[in-house]
Amino acid sequence: MDDLVIGMAGSGGDGIVSAGESLIAAAAYEGYHAMMTKSFGSQVRGGESSCRVRLSTRRVHNPGSTLDVAVALNWEDFLRFGAELPVSGSTVVIYESRTGVAPDKIPLVGVAPKEVFAVPISDIAKQAAGTEKAKNTVVLGLIAGWFGIAREAILRGLRKKFIKKGEELVASNERAFTMGEQWAREHPLQTPRMMDKAASHAGKKMLIDGNDMCAAAAIFSGCQFFGGYPITPSTEIMQFFTREVWKYGGAVLQAEDEIAGVGAALGASIAGKKAMTATSGPGLSLKTEIMGLASIAELPLVIVDVQRGGPSTGLPTKPEQADLFAAAFSAHGDVLRPVLAPTSVADTFDITVEAFNLAEKYQTPVLILSDQEVAQRKETVDPIDTARFTVIDRKLPTEAELKDYHRFKLTEDHVSPISHPGMKGGNYQGAGIEHNESGNPTASGKMHATMNDKRFKKLKPLQRRRDLHRIEGNPSAPLALVAWGSVAGVAKEAFDRAVAEGLDVKLFVPLLVWPIAEEIYRDFFASVKGGIVAELSHQGQLYRMLRMYVDVPAGVTSFCRSGANPIQPLEVVAKLREASMALQTPPQIPSEE
Amino acid sequence: MKEPTVLPTYQAKDFKSELKPIWCPGCGDFGVLQAIYRALAAVGRAPHEIAFVSGIGCSSRIPGYTTAYGFNSVHGRALPIAQGIKLANPDLLVLVAGGDGDGFSIGGGHVPHAIRRNIDLTYIVMDNQIYGLTKGQLSPTSPKGLHTVTSDLGSLEEPVNPLLYTLAYGAGFVAQGTPADMAGLADIIEEAIRYPGFSLVNVQSPCVTFGEDDNQVKAHRAAMKPLSSIGHDPTNRIAAMDLAQQYGKALHTGVFFKNPSPPPTYDALVRERQRSLAEKAVPRERLLDMFVQK
Repeated sequence: MDDLVIGMAGSGGDGIVSAGESLIAAAAYEGYHAMMTKSFGSQVRGGESSCRVRLSTRRVHNPGSTLDVAVALNWEDFLRFGAELPVSGSTVVIYESRTGVAPDKIPLVGVAPKEVFAVPISDIAKQAAGTEKAKNTVVLGLIAGWFGIAREAILRGLRKKFIKKGEELVASNERAFTMGEQWAREHPLQTPRMMDKAASHAGKKMLIDGNDMCAAAAIFSGCQFFGGYPITPSTEIMQFFTREVWKYGGAVLQAEDEIAGVGAALGASIAGKKAMTATSGPGLSLKTEIMGLASIAELPLVIVDVQRGGPSTGLPTKPEQADLFAAAFSAHGDVLRPVLAPTSVADTFDITVEAFNLAEKYQTPVLILSDQEVAQRKETVDPIDTARFTVIDRKLPTEAELKDYHRFKLTEDHVSPISHPGMKGGNYQGAGIEHNESGNPTASGKMHATMNDKRFKKLKPLQRRRDLHRIEGNPSAPLALVAWGSVAGVAKEAFDRAVAEGLDVKLFVPLLVWPIAEEIYRDFFASVKGGIVAELSHQGQLYRMLRMYVDVPAGVTSFCRSGANPIQPLEVVAKLREASMALQTPPQIPSEE
Repeated sequence: MKEPTVLPTYQAKDFKSELKPIWCPGCGDFGVLQAIYRALAAVGRAPHEIAFVSGIGCSSRIPGYTTAYGFNSVHGRALPIAQGIKLANPDLLVLVAGGDGDGFSIGGGHVPHAIRRNIDLTYIVMDNQIYGLTKGQLSPTSPKGLHTVTSDLGSLEEPVNPLLYTLAYGAGFVAQGTPADMAGLADIIEEAIRYPGFSLVNVQSPCVTFGEDDNQVKAHRAAMKPLSSIGHDPTNRIAAMDLAQQYGKALHTGVFFKNPSPPPTYDALVRERQRSLAEKAVPRERLLDMFVQK
């Protein structure tokens, strides 16, 4: 077996997420490719919590679909997660026997898993460690016992985790683990499923989530200022900054509100520093006015929006891709603000560096449109070769230019050298008000048109950035699969499966989701007759945007649904099959009544 | 204690830009602008080392009339932007200006936080008790009962008391001036700039077009009561708050409160933290090593 998806759920105090953390850390150490997503109820403490860990000997692109293993510490909590923890007939179900549910009466509607184990998890924990708190360690033992995963690494991890609290706690957890393992051995699976050994070397992989990756990449890019306000699910970005950025001569301001956060970041940019803010949907709405100010004042600024379910408070802890319209369009006036969307924890690094580069190069706000899944899932990532990145800094005026400086001078590439306070001769008036080349206010319609033109034209080269669009598959395929953000990882797996099935399909993943690179899409769609745009929003926002700017072939339809209902690779494959069938069926002439 | 005399390197005119103010003839803001030129000349920092941030309103045009780096931002957000500038480069002299609507209405939520953080900047509010740019609506400092185009039958609201509020928030420097005493105002602004920490100068700057007749420069000249003339001790916050209650009734000018032992500023603490942690920095390209599962 080379791929295993484990889903676990329990109450907040059960430590189920902590068990997931131990498991993935051990798997990463052993060299497996792994991914972990966490999901919680809305309570701060004590509510239901769950996690899903996918381990594989191959690179994985999404947290997987149906569970291979389901662990329920109690059924009520497990069932609250619904489609997030889907069980099938081949799922191995492990649950706490204290729930009193008979193995043939488990409350899963419409599925009858063949292997179901009622395990006295609490009792084993009590017996081994003297406390039921060790339940999660027993679960780890069960999993290691049945699936042969990372035994030594888990034990090593447990020691590392508990040693601070004393040798006794280490020993009791080791006993809990061993007894769990023992129980599994005494109750073997009808069909043994032992995980293959990981191919790569131990001790090399990173284990990191998207938010930490984003913050680390920002500091790598030279970001020296973060202004923001806590909001789920983006807060970890600010938290990383508060630990690290001082060391690099930078600062963090936890502001009084979202507006002050982006305002302070804009101030830092005025002062010549690379600056960033991060938020989620509601905060994005609040920051919109200052983002417009950054556009007209031509100031570099990176804004992260970690999408969650919306509108308003919506589903703060669940993923959705419904802020695309807001990211692209929420502005008064004519504004073009590039939007980049990471598809995984790993490429969050690339996307963040790119965002800073675009911001600095074109003196513009750039939005990173992440989502709860990419931002908060943990992933194994191979070491990043940072030497392959170029870090771009804003174009400063030369000594000669400072002698007769015009901040918004019209230039060939429409980018004007930018000074900052402290630079002698570079003094200028920045403003939200329309201005002339010197920066002085104007009410002239002609000047307004000129400056709008400048602000749009400088971003024109973006439309030709093929490297910001991932295209795979037979270039003349008639079938298209388009996806962005976290759904791109689902699409990638679906694409691989569809190709293996013999479908003639190609995959398009835009990393630059706005502006729409019209030519690149046009070339891609030239051979296309049918297919789908897969995304996690009620409206299918990317699909709608493509329809605005590109002649999307009529056979290409939107496959979308509201957030918190993850799209599964197999569903995408089924949709592609349907689209492929439709191409082969001659069009029906509607019969008259 | 007298500071050593340093020959001024700059004159008021060095801070005057070529832009012609758009204000109505007779606007109080002209006097404030002159006072700022004088104060900046006295402080003696080069124009390019000054960042001057404002919000939106008649008075918020003021940075453009100076030779400093100016930033005429959006309504109510001058303080957050100015704080970002100062934290990014604490060597700069940072001035913030705006009207009473900008500072105490739409941007009112930023004032207590700027004060409690105590980032070293000077906030000059041109308080005219009216919205002038939008042509005469009620402002947060308009007196109760005032008839305006949005309070036809008289305002039903108590005004904000900028002096009392900022003193209560814990500001280390709170002063009030009027362009009726331009030289006095220049001295107040200079002292505010020199104060190491957040400083507020509330300027009663009359609106010649929409303001009340008894609230014009000429009337101020007759009504103003310098705090020095009544023996106020500016190191006494409680006495200052007592006097501040007269806001709207009496026109006190001068320094209400100046903390005699200013605490370290936020920007200074940031610097200290940066210095003490600099040696702990791993090379940026190795920042991700902390996530490797060794």
